[in-house]
Amino acid sequence: MANGQSSIHFNNDRTRKAVEITLLSAPALILFLGLVIAPVFMAAYYGFFKWKGYGSPTANGQFVGFQNYAIILSDPSFQQAVLHNFIIVVLSLVTQGPLAILFALLINQKFKGRTLIRTLIFVPYVISDVITGTGFSLMFQTQGAINDFLAKIGLGSVEWLSDPKTAIWTLMFVLAWKYIGFAVILMLAGMQSIPEELYEAAKVDGASFWQCQWRITLPLLGPTIRLWAFLSIIGSLQLFDMVYIIWGQYISSTAGTSTMATYMALEGRLAGNYGYGSAVAVVLFLISLVIALTYQHFALNRDLDGALTEAAEQRKAAKKTNKRGVARMATATGTE
Amino acid sequence: MKFRKIAAVITSAAMLASMAACGTGGSSAKNADGKTVITMWHITTDSKRKEYWEGLAKSYEEAHPDVSIELQAIQSEDFDGKLQTALQDPESAPDIFIERGGGKLQDQIAAGQVMDLTDKLDSSVKTSMKSALGGFTVDSKIYGVPYAISPGGIWYSKDLFAQAGIDTLPTTMEELNQTAQKLKDAGITPVALGAKDAWPAAHWWYWFALRECPASVFAETMTSKKFDDPCYLKASNDLKAFADTNPFQEGFLTTSVAQGAASSAGLIANHKAAMELMGSWEVSSVKSLTADGQPLQDLGFFPFPSVSGGKGDTSAMMGGMDGFAVAQWAPSQAVDFLNYIASTDNQKTYYSYFNGIPANADAQGVIDSSTMKDVLSAYKNASSMSLWLDSQFGQNVGNALNTGVVNMLAGKGSPEDIIAGTNQAAAKE
Repeated sequence: MANGQSSIHFNNDRTRKAVEITLLSAPALILFLGLVIAPVFMAAYYGFFKWKGYGSPTANGQFVGFQNYAIILSDPSFQQAVLHNFIIVVLSLVTQGPLAILFALLINQKFKGRTLIRTLIFVPYVISDVITGTGFSLMFQTQGAINDFLAKIGLGSVEWLSDPKTAIWTLMFVLAWKYIGFAVILMLAGMQSIPEELYEAAKVDGASFWQCQWRITLPLLGPTIRLWAFLSIIGSLQLFDMVYIIWGQYISSTAGTSTMATYMALEGRLAGNYGYGSAVAVVLFLISLVIALTYQHFALNRDLDGALTEAAEQRKAAKKTNKRGVARMATATGTE
Repeated sequence: MKFRKIAAVITSAAMLASMAACGTGGSSAKNADGKTVITMWHITTDSKRKEYWEGLAKSYEEAHPDVSIELQAIQSEDFDGKLQTALQDPESAPDIFIERGGGKLQDQIAAGQVMDLTDKLDSSVKTSMKSALGGFTVDSKIYGVPYAISPGGIWYSKDLFAQAGIDTLPTTMEELNQTAQKLKDAGITPVALGAKDAWPAAHWWYWFALRECPASVFAETMTSKKFDDPCYLKASNDLKAFADTNPFQEGFLTTSVAQGAASSAGLIANHKAAMELMGSWEVSSVKSLTADGQPLQDLGFFPFPSVSGGKGDTSAMMGGMDGFAVAQWAPSQAVDFLNYIASTDNQKTYYSYFNGIPANADAQGVIDSSTMKDVLSAYKNASSMSLWLDSQFGQNVGNALNTGVVNMLAGKGSPEDIIAGTNQAAAKE
């Protein structure tokens, strides 16, 4: 019995902890490695083949090295898609950001019906993308509700969806409608953490409402704004569903709203070129990664700094408690 | 404490083992009752029509108690992607699945995924399906059995034609242009077009190419995928000239083909437009969008008109084919069930459920609507029957062709760009 006990007993606390961590994180780790990391590497592998998706790439495809990448980068419709993505990134930041802050400021004031408006502004974000997309695509049709309304009040009709000059603005409107609620909630949360004393002190000093917002709220809202901008940029780069639903599978490039992701779906999955599509996925991944890392390095780092040092402090604190734990365990085994 | 540790080790080991087991498990060919299980994937999601396949499976199971047939209806748009993924692993793949011929069938053959049925089909099926089986024959081997053929052409509203004072159906492009003008004069949109789905617009180009190109050139392009012959540029120019007369409804670019009343089929169903170029499934798409859900009584059909100076045969037809293929690894009963589906009696009932043309020539006599009779006679008198070009060329070149046509119609590309785009796409394959 004593022997069995010693074999199952871990010789020290560190191994015990290591085993525990491995066991507890294994399911999550396996899922993450299997469903996130492995597919990235598989896509990179497939990207070197011309392959129609039937059978295996080595048997039914043809190894072509970097040829897929050369075609992607020289394909004018991919370049257009990238351009659209960047337009969407910039316009989202420029339009949604200030609007969200203004909305948040408004909702942050005390007035009647505030809770109702808070809820309503968040509703579009909760509605599924498919419903939003289908609804707007029906309303913005040439013979749809919006043109009907414009005709009734005596204005001409507009090609909301099919004219490349207008379509991207229609898309921006739908995106703003859909995602502004999320930005507002973030900003509101950020505003809650600004100490009330600052405003009181400013008021005592005779600052006006707008001065307060400009000199206190905005600077202290910095971390929130930077975080929101990060999420918005990543979302804009990966934008797919709204375009795919409103413009369908084929005509987004004609209407000037194609994105890298819709290009990937069209040229990879719909065209049955799984090798080429995988290469597009890798390019999309790299572009997003480079932008995300750059942004993190230049903008997010100072916000994360605090978080990281905090974690380090926690680690130190945890070590201390561990030592205490060991002591306690020693006494426990002693009494056993 | 000891017990807890052991328990933790055991549970986590069990968890890992069960995860690993997911990879090796799966269905075996026989179920618990010792019956051979055949899985079949079809694309009939409509609850009423689905009963056709369910009925066939049931009657077959009654005659063959050792077989169990599992049907799965998959939305047509999702079908290709799902099938492609499933075919990667025989365990997850269906035994019988929808096949439409062309480039995709060739890819499946190259990957060794479809069964050669040449020696396995009933001789009666081979004779009664002779003309239709050609679409599923590659290198003189038969790889699938069609159940329906859907030739294309122009569908029109007899009432709206009468309203515009049109008493003869157009047989040439000039006459079609005059017809469109008369309709416009009467305040009727001449042609409905669902360009959001790209292929309905491209069908116009396909037909112009079929009428412009000599049969030999056209047949050669089917395998070479090269559009060097000047007849293809002429086809692009024909379509450009036709589109420049503004025959289509406003906002055709964002109109879908059959989703709701604002779709192109919906415009026909509600008498908002007079004509649409479409395969013979038009009858049922329109039916589902009429106000009362009944077939459109005044829906007529005429073949695609000839073009002046065109070198193609004016009777040549184009269309689609729906059929089934059998997976390489499927049990022999799967082929037997296909023979059963293709038998003349079962093909006759196909018409009563689907109102489409059964592939079995002996069953085609059951067609009773005058419109479908017109389609059938155009099909029977055709000098050739080509597959829709996007099916024929495979998705890649087919998609590039389709989007090229849409771009031109939207004013974003030239007739030359259509052909340049297909060559660009070929490089991605």
